[in-house]
Amino acid sequence: MSTTKWNPGSHLVSPDGKWYWDGVSQEWKPVAQPAPKAEPSPTPPTAPTPTEKSRGLDSFVGTIRSEDLASGQTVLVWARWILIGTGLLLSFWTPKDLLTLQVQLAAIIALAFGNFYLHVQLLRGRPALDNVVYGASIADIAVVTALVLVQGGYPSPVFIFYFAAIVGISVAFPTVVTAGYTALVVGVYGVISLATATTDEYPAVFIRLLTIAAVAVCGNLFARHEAERRAEAIRRHTEMLDEIEQKSSTGGQPDVEHS
Amino acid sequence: MSNTREVRTAKQAEEEDVFFGQTVIMWARWSVIVAGIALVLWTSTNVALLTQTMPFFLVLMAVNFFLHGRFVMGSPLNRTVVTVASVIDIVLITAIVVLWPGSHGLNNQFYVLYMPVVFAFALVFTRKIEVAYTAFAIVAYAGACVLTGTVPFDLGNEDKILVMRLIVIAAMGFLGNYYFRIQRDRLARASKGATRWASSTASRV
Repeated sequence: MSTTKWNPGSHLVSPDGKWYWDGVSQEWKPVAQPAPKAEPSPTPPTAPTPTEKSRGLDSFVGTIRSEDLASGQTVLVWARWILIGTGLLLSFWTPKDLLTLQVQLAAIIALAFGNFYLHVQLLRGRPALDNVVYGASIADIAVVTALVLVQGGYPSPVFIFYFAAIVGISVAFPTVVTAGYTALVVGVYGVISLATATTDEYPAVFIRLLTIAAVAVCGNLFARHEAERRAEAIRRHTEMLDEIEQKSSTGGQPDVEHS
Repeated sequence: MSNTREVRTAKQAEEEDVFFGQTVIMWARWSVIVAGIALVLWTSTNVALLTQTMPFFLVLMAVNFFLHGRFVMGSPLNRTVVTVASVIDIVLITAIVVLWPGSHGLNNQFYVLYMPVVFAFALVFTRKIEVAYTAFAIVAYAGACVLTGTVPFDLGNEDKILVMRLIVIAAMGFLGNYYFRIQRDRLARASKGATRWASSTASRV
């Protein structure tokens, strides 16, 4: 056996990095530990190792819901800015009484501060904690509900802001959580409306609740389809990398065993 | 030698947008149909009322049976047909707002049907088409309220309510299409093998 000392800078290394060419004995020999560092020889792209997967393509789908939450969070943040902006505009438009205006402005300003924090986190590339995002959505629903209650329940036109809140929730959160939030909105607003509406107005209550649920279903259905499409795109990309690697390791010859 | 499988092209992605998007639009339309039929059956007090109101939803139902049937058979319709069907949705909802017996224009509670329809459309089409469609819905509803004389233009409560509703319709279109564009970006990066979302997310925000 050759006693040639391993020197990564002076040997040709195999594409997989496990063998080097011993010019003295004219043999391919296993690379000694520690593993050779980056050799200037061209090496084909390799599939990610298991330790890299948490930051790799797999992170777009599967168990890492936080990234889905983060991408949906931008929608939530903008939905909330729309709610805040419109709320402020309408609060100053023919205000009814002092108490109503006080409640409206306090709720909207509190929401604006919370949303500013979430927006800054996104601008810095740091999604907020999942629980904070979930809590902020609860706050959205609570603010709209408070405004509806202050304005007398069913007659309040402010209920349409539930739509904007539900849109953000439906695309950002997993199906079960979306269903929970939607059930919460439908339940709370349904009870408030039924308590404050006359029997003639029950059909209108029904249609409001049904359309809120429909928006949630549409948003979440789309988000799920997109997750499937991403998974498929990643699978194809991984297959393509594998094929490139196989071609490279067989020197461009067809790999009979695997083909 | 085996060919390397290509990742999807932009054209394939666009076709898939319509394919997957059709399901969202169809489910939105089913929600409108179910809500409408339930209301018609619930609120009708005589035969004449029922026969006047039910045809709106029968037309929508026929359109959706056709679209859903084609989808289930694996031959979904193209972008133009889907767009035309969605325009029919807006026209019918506006007709309901204008013509519904008893309450017209701003006083008609069917305006909420615009929300799922506009939102679903925005999840499928590119920004220009979505903006045009949302603007069409806004103009249609505002026009319906004006034509029926239910908006006095005195900057009073009715005007305020109309503005609020129009803003929310616009928001549905904007938010839906915003999410659509985020998803296109994520899909493109997934296809190319990019790994980090943070920089892209920050740049979008």
